[in-house]
Amino acid sequence: MEFKELDPILHSQLRLAVVSLLISVREAEFTFLKEKTNATAGNLSVQINKLKDAGYLDVTKQFNNNYPQTICKITKKGIEAFEGYVKALQTYMNPNGQS
Amino acid sequence: MSEVKLTENESLKLITEMIGKAKGSYHSNGTSAILWGLVIFFCSIFEFFEMQFNFDIGFNIWWLMFVALVPQFYLMLKSSSKKNFESYEEKTMSFVWWAFAASVVMMMFFNSYYRPSHSESLFLMLFGMPTFITGGMFRFKPMIIGGITCWILFVVSIYTSLKINLLLMALAALSAWLVPGIILHKKCIREAQQ
Repeated sequence: MEFKELDPILHSQLRLAVVSLLISVREAEFTFLKEKTNATAGNLSVQINKLKDAGYLDVTKQFNNNYPQTICKITKKGIEAFEGYVKALQTYMNPNGQS
Repeated sequence: MSEVKLTENESLKLITEMIGKAKGSYHSNGTSAILWGLVIFFCSIFEFFEMQFNFDIGFNIWWLMFVALVPQFYLMLKSSSKKNFESYEEKTMSFVWWAFAASVVMMMFFNSYYRPSHSESLFLMLFGMPTFITGGMFRFKPMIIGGITCWILFVVSIYTSLKINLLLMALAALSAWLVPGIILHKKCIREAQQ
């Protein structure tokens, strides 16, 4: 029986929520993530930056009709990390490897 | 939601919840389906009346489809300014519908050049494809039924005259877009009120 180590970047409530949302959509604005996670703008912004620094997210800042817009997209590295995290979780949920 | 560590069970629950929230975020309000349903219904019925009552307005009524692109672009701009995410399904669907639109335009040019008989049957076949795919992708039964109806009408149209085929086209527009569009629109209004 072997427990795989859970990625510390993803093993946090808000960061995991953000990555789970972004894995399901092509791209999303900051407002979408804020609305779905019910997080505060400040906290969400900090966690998005951590994910960006880890190379898990691509973050683009632009203007749309004079309003600032932050668009987030999961990267290939982010997808691999998420898949690895889910696989590692499975070793905890099913330690004997039974399906 | 705060910066807290999770147990393995909580992680799994959170992933499932967020994926579910993201998947349930995309809603079409049905206006594009209503627009194209109305345009094709009107053009088919109008051409039927032209043939039935022997009159000619001097231009092909089907060019109205190009005019309908103006409100379509307006609707697209309006919805994209409101939207704060883009799903994979939505992106795929936009490619399917643009491919369909390009095919319809090419067919129209082909028909105006060669004037083949029973070309409206091919339109019916074409109408069914994106409708069926959209219905299947979003598990929206009225569009799946609409797509299948178009294909049934295609088979019927092989054995009927041009005049009857125009009525079949109107029926296809009703079943594939107008009725599903109205159902979607009503659903959207209901959800907005809740």
